[in-house]
Amino acid sequence: MTGQRKITEITVTWFCWLSGLLLLAALVILVGYLIRRGGPVLGLSLLFGDTPPLDALLLRKHVFDGLYPALAGTLLLIIGAMVLAIPLGIASGIYMAEYAGGRTKAVFSLLFDILAGIPSIVVGLAGLSITIFLHRIFGERIMPCLLISCLALAYLVLPYLIRTTQVALESIDPVVRRTAPALGASRLQNIGRVLLPHSLPAIIGGIILATGRCAEDTAVIMLTGAVASAGIPRSLLDQYEALPFYIYYISAQYTSPDELATGFGAALLLLLLCSALLVLALVLQRRLTIFLLYR
Amino acid sequence: MAPAVKIRVCDLNFHYRNRQVLHDVNLTIPSGSITAITGPSGSGKSTLLLALNRLWEEIDGCRVRGRVEIELDGRLQEIHSPALPARYVRRKVGLVFQQPNPLPMSIFRNIAFPLQLAGVRDRKLLAQQVETALRKVRLWQELHNRLEDDGRSLSGGQQQRLCIARALVLQPEVLLLDEPTSSLDPETGQAIEELLLNLKNEMTLIVVSHYQDQVQRIADLRFTVREGRFTRLPAGRPRSRTGPAL
Repeated sequence: MTGQRKITEITVTWFCWLSGLLLLAALVILVGYLIRRGGPVLGLSLLFGDTPPLDALLLRKHVFDGLYPALAGTLLLIIGAMVLAIPLGIASGIYMAEYAGGRTKAVFSLLFDILAGIPSIVVGLAGLSITIFLHRIFGERIMPCLLISCLALAYLVLPYLIRTTQVALESIDPVVRRTAPALGASRLQNIGRVLLPHSLPAIIGGIILATGRCAEDTAVIMLTGAVASAGIPRSLLDQYEALPFYIYYISAQYTSPDELATGFGAALLLLLLCSALLVLALVLQRRLTIFLLYR
Repeated sequence: MAPAVKIRVCDLNFHYRNRQVLHDVNLTIPSGSITAITGPSGSGKSTLLLALNRLWEEIDGCRVRGRVEIELDGRLQEIHSPALPARYVRRKVGLVFQQPNPLPMSIFRNIAFPLQLAGVRDRKLLAQQVETALRKVRLWQELHNRLEDDGRSLSGGQQQRLCIARALVLQPEVLLLDEPTSSLDPETGQAIEELLLNLKNEMTLIVVSHYQDQVQRIADLRFTVREGRFTRLPAGRPRSRTGPAL
């Protein structure tokens, strides 16, 4: 009996180790392969092609053979979607955790779960349908564009933000939860001054997850405004380029090894962009916690 | 002349979900006294404290029936009256939890926090009040040059005194303490007992305690709870104001 238990214990330990190792190996291989294929093309010319970088950055000249428009498009897309989704998501999360109760909460929970389960291609189709609908009403001005993509992506990532905010607030220690009310805090003061600052790390976690989802999504944007060549969008109603769409497009239709290498370069660039946003979020989390609690 | 009535509880019944926690509680507590409540765990000691400053309203599934009158601003008032905001009651009736619960803020902000919640913005006034509160709990000497440190970096005893200071900064008329010495070593526990005896001159105190000897030492009035029913015990021999002057 003891021997058998020992064998089980060793097996489970080994299995856990191997699982972790497998995951790590997959990550190393993936990143390694990307660097090997995309690394050599990584450089200013990948971004700006033949255009002088300063002129491109200041929008004085168009970039025709570089990834700068796609990088800028993705960045604008992320910013737009998150600006729309963060306030809505956090407010809904607060409502769910602090104000909703009984049947309302149960119904809303179910609806948010359904929302989380909607495939992105369906959200993209919904965005396209809305665009067509708006096109009929407002005429030529409304086409698939950056704004529609941002709206659709915000809709796609809302459940992440709602759920992480709600779970973070609900898992706060009851003693901490009652501390401020016992000192005469109103409900809103308790939420703003104690509960939210306490939940900030978890909420930022949700924002990071949502940002990643916005950065990588292709199904939504290809139906709502991303195109292979558009330059930097001048307004929210313009079409735009995006890295994931470029990667998808190149991998399906490359005509030369050089073009394929550019595709790998784009993948590497997307990875770097996501990593940079992750670091930014972590720095922001630290600064914001200090500001909210220690100011 | 008998001291004025500070708290009068009439036929108080407290339900948590389907369970009745307090049964027909009747208490009269005079002003400027220390009342001790003892009894086994889960008998309803802490629940009474929650009922006295309306903190039960923050917990889902609680119901209260009966009257709780407390003399606030010179007038005996029914604390559950709709005309009385819960925030007002909680500022006048302070509560110190069993577990020291400093918020993740600096020592200064922890104590200034209730004042800031009440809308005090004047830095000078805040600093003054924080100092007074810290002096009352005898932490000023130890902490006056590290007020910007995190409140959670203090020792258990210091944290508990910090929490008492935080409750005192609002100058409450009644202070409720839920086993304030249970997580402390005997020496620190004694320091807190001295502190409570000192505070008796300024406010009315109700202390939930497990320790019979502590109750004997400090209480003017003693109650024991069993399954939600309160019984008054003969008073101990409380010392009047002892300990070094502040």
